[in-house]
Amino acid sequence: MLERKLIKKVLREALTTNADFAEVFIEDKFQTDATLLSSKIQGVNNSKEFGIGVRVAKGYHSVYGYTNSPKEEDLLKLANDLAQSFPGEPVGIEFSLEEMKVGNLHPVKILPSTVSLEEKVELLRRADKAARAYSEEINQVSTRYQDYVQNVWIANSEGTYVHDTRVRTRLAIASIAANEESKQTGFYGPGGHYGFEFYSEQLNIEEAAHESARIAVAMLHAEECPSGKMPVVIDNEFGGVIFHEACGHSLEATSVAKGASVFSGKKGELIANPLVTAIDDGTIPNAWGSATYDDEGNLQKKRVLIKDGVLTSYMIDKLNAIRMNDEPTHSGRRESYRYAPTSRMTNTYIDNGESTFDEIIAATKLGLYAKKMGGGSVNPATGDFNFSVAEGYMIRDGKIAEAVKGATLVGTGSETLLRVDMVGNNLASAQGMCGSLSGSIPTDVGQPTIRLSEITVGGRGGAI
Amino acid sequence: MNFDKLFEAASKKGIEDLQVYFNDSNEFDISAFKGELDKYTIASTQKLSVKGIYEGKMGTVTTEVLTDDVIDFLVDSIISSAKTIESEDEVFIYAGDKEYKKIEGLYNESIYDVSAKQKIEDALELEKKIIEKDKRIIMVQTYYGEGSNKVRIRNSKGLNLEKLVNDAMIGAQVIANDGKDQRTSFEYIRSNDYADFDYEALASLAAKKAVALLGATPCESGEYEILLSKEASASLLMPHVSMFSAESVQKNISLLKGKVGEVVGSSLVTVVDDPFMKKSAKSGAFDDEGVATSYKELIKDGVLTGFMHNLKTAKKDNIKSTGNGFIGRGISPTNFYIKPGEYKHDDAVKSMKKGIIITDLAGTHAGANPISGDFSLQASGFLVENGEVIRPVALITVAGNYLDLLKDVTQVCDDLKFNFGYVGSPSLLVKSLMISGL
Repeated sequence: MLERKLIKKVLREALTTNADFAEVFIEDKFQTDATLLSSKIQGVNNSKEFGIGVRVAKGYHSVYGYTNSPKEEDLLKLANDLAQSFPGEPVGIEFSLEEMKVGNLHPVKILPSTVSLEEKVELLRRADKAARAYSEEINQVSTRYQDYVQNVWIANSEGTYVHDTRVRTRLAIASIAANEESKQTGFYGPGGHYGFEFYSEQLNIEEAAHESARIAVAMLHAEECPSGKMPVVIDNEFGGVIFHEACGHSLEATSVAKGASVFSGKKGELIANPLVTAIDDGTIPNAWGSATYDDEGNLQKKRVLIKDGVLTSYMIDKLNAIRMNDEPTHSGRRESYRYAPTSRMTNTYIDNGESTFDEIIAATKLGLYAKKMGGGSVNPATGDFNFSVAEGYMIRDGKIAEAVKGATLVGTGSETLLRVDMVGNNLASAQGMCGSLSGSIPTDVGQPTIRLSEITVGGRGGAI
Repeated sequence: MNFDKLFEAASKKGIEDLQVYFNDSNEFDISAFKGELDKYTIASTQKLSVKGIYEGKMGTVTTEVLTDDVIDFLVDSIISSAKTIESEDEVFIYAGDKEYKKIEGLYNESIYDVSAKQKIEDALELEKKIIEKDKRIIMVQTYYGEGSNKVRIRNSKGLNLEKLVNDAMIGAQVIANDGKDQRTSFEYIRSNDYADFDYEALASLAAKKAVALLGATPCESGEYEILLSKEASASLLMPHVSMFSAESVQKNISLLKGKVGEVVGSSLVTVVDDPFMKKSAKSGAFDDEGVATSYKELIKDGVLTGFMHNLKTAKKDNIKSTGNGFIGRGISPTNFYIKPGEYKHDDAVKSMKKGIIITDLAGTHAGANPISGDFSLQASGFLVENGEVIRPVALITVAGNYLDLLKDVTQVCDDLKFNFGYVGSPSLLVKSLMISGL
C-alpha cells in the first residue's frame, strides 16, 4: 500500500501539464488456484500480484501507464511521462483526498487466507468423486478451485479516495463422458463474491458435480442437431449469455460512444419485444460480478438497460460519459492494474416475465430447447453473434424430445431481442468470465426461460 | 530480489531443487480514432515464477512483489503447494542442454529509433488513408503496439539462461456501411522491424475487406466445396493445437492418440512447430523449463510423426522433451502452422464449381470441440459459382470434424499468415463442409 501523501504527489505530478484529470489505481491481490485431474491433485499455485496504474486525461482523451514498482521515483517518472501527452499550462486543479467509507457491501464470513490448502483441495476431491459416481460413462473429471482477495485503492484529482476488497471464489467442474463412438464434455462452474463459507452455505458440491456429469452423459447419447431456422427455447441461468453477448456488449459505452454500436443513438426507442426488461446490477449482494465500488471509485449501481422493450440506459464509464454527453453509470471495470478501466457489465439479466417453463415448451410445435448454453462471441459493430449449445433437445409437438449435440445459434443482436416472444418466470443466474478491452472480469449472466420465435441453428444433422 | 538469498533460504528449508523464471517486460501501445489519439499506454512490469521440488513433488508460486521480504513467503508457498500435490508424475529441474541454438533477429533495437511521435503520426495517417479509400467506410480505428520481454532462467543445477525478444504491430479495425448493411474488417502486420510496416498496403487491404462483405446474407443450406481463407484456417487450427500436445494424448483427450505413423490428413498437409522463426516473440532457443527447442513437422505429408512434449510427458514416453514446456500453459507450441504449398488463392477460386470462400470464422473458442474434433461455427465469406464470386454471404454456420477436414484438403495455397497467437495457415481448398443458412 502507498501512503496517501505519495498518492497525492503522483496525482499532482500528473497534472503539471494541461491535463484536467488524474487517477491512481493500486492493486494488491492474492490468489490460490488448485487443479485436480484423474482423481489426483495436480497443481497448486499461490500468486501475489501487485501494481499501480496511473491514468491522466484531458476531456475524454486519456493516457495510461502501469508498473509493479511502488518506489516514489518510479511513480513520479511514470506520472510525468504520461503528463507529457498534454502539453501546456497546468489547469490548476486543487483537491484533497478524503476517504469515502461505506464499509464493504458484500461482506464475507471466512477469508480464504484463514483456510488451509488441504481443506480447499478436499472440495476438488468431493466434486471428482460425485461426478464419477453419477454414471459409469464418466471416464475423466477435471476440477479447479480458485479464490482470491483483491484489495484496491482508487484515488483521483476530483478527491475520490476509496478502498475496496473483493473476495471471490469459484469451483469449476468439467466431466467427460465417453463410449466407443464419442466423447462429450459437461461443465458447471458456480462461484460468487464469497469467502470459504460459499461451500457450506451456498453451494452443494455434490449437486454441482452431478450437473456437470449429467450434461456430459446426456450429450453422449445425443444425435447431431439438425440445421435451419426454427424457434429456440433458451433456458434460464447460463442461457443469459445470449443477452450478454448479443446485446449487453453493444450497450457498453465502449462501442456506443464511438457510434460503433447498432444501439448508438437509440435511447428511448423500442429495441426489444415489450416482454423484455433487462438489467445490469452491480449491487446484488455477494453476486459474482458485484463489488462495493466500480474500478473508478464510484459506488456500484443497478441500471435498467431495457424497460418493456425500450432502451433506457447504456453502461457508461467516466470518460465515455464526457464523449457521449451523458451521465456516467459507474460502469468502469478492469481486470487489474494492467488495464485502464472502461464500461463493462457486472451482473446482467433479463427480468422475469409471466409464462411458466411448461407453457413455453407446450407452445412450441417444432424447435430446439437449449437447456445449457456454451460460450459465444459477438461483433459489436454488426451485432452478429454466435453461441454454442452445450446441452440441447428437440421440441416436438410441444414436448421435449431427443437430445441433440453440436448446435450453434447464429443471429444479430438487434433482431434477436425483437424475436423474444415468450418470457418465463424462473429467473436464475450463472457465472462467467467476460473478456473485452479492459481484460477478463467476473460477470453474472441470467434470465428466465425465454423463447425466440425464429433463429438460425447450425448443426451437422441435416436440414430440419 | 537477491536470488542467491532465495536459493539459500529454499535449501535451508529442505527444498531439493529450485528454479526461478524472471520476466521483465516493457510495453507501448497507441490507438488512433477520428483524427485523435484514442489510447496511449506505457508499462513496465516484472514477474517472478518459482518452482521447487520438495519431497518429490513440485511446488509453484508467482509474485510481482520483488523485494527480499517476500522470500519466506515464496519458500513456504512452494512447500505447502508441494505437500498438497498427489500426482505421482516424476518432476524435474533441468540441468540444461549442451547446446542452445543462436537465433538472430529476435531483438531489433532499430524499432526504438523511430520516435513515439512518429509512430503516433503514422497511426493517425493510417486512419486517414483508410477513410479516403471508399465512401462507404464510416469508421476506422488504428493501432500501433510494441513490447519487449527479457527472460531469465536460473536453477540450483547450475542452469543460467537469458533471452531478449521484442515485437511490434500495426493494425486497423474498419467499419463499412452502405446505408443498409454494416460490416467490419481487421487487418494487421506484425514484425520487430519498422521497415516491414507497409501502411499503404495495409490501408488498401483493410478497406477492401470491409466493403467486400456489404450486403452479405445467408445462402442456402447444404454441402459446399470450401475455400478456407488463411485467416479462417488459422483460427480453426488454433483450438485444435491441443491435439498435438503429449499431455492431451496421455490424458486420453487427443483424437490423435495412437496414430503416430498413420495418415491423419491429406498428403498435402504438413504441420510445423518452428521455434527458430525470425521476428517472432514466440521464438527462442529454450522453453520455460530451460530445454533446448527444436523444429518439428508434427504432420509430414499427411502422416502424424509425433507430439509436442515437456519434461514430464517426455519422461513418461521415455523420449527427450521437444522443448514445448511453457509456464502456465503446460505444453504449448512456439510458431505453429500449416506449411504453405504452391497453389494460388485465385486459382483455387477459379477451380470451384459451386462453393464458398470462408473469410471469417467466429466463436472458435466455444463452437469447436478439440476433444471430439467437431466444430459448428459462425462464418462469413463469398458464394462462388463456376469460378466466379457471386455475392458475399454471412450469418451462416459451417460444421464438420477437424480431422475429416484435414483429410479432405485438396489444395494448399502459398499465402501463409499468422494470427495473434502465432498460429498460422495458408488458404486451404476443402472437398466439402456442411453449411447451414436459409
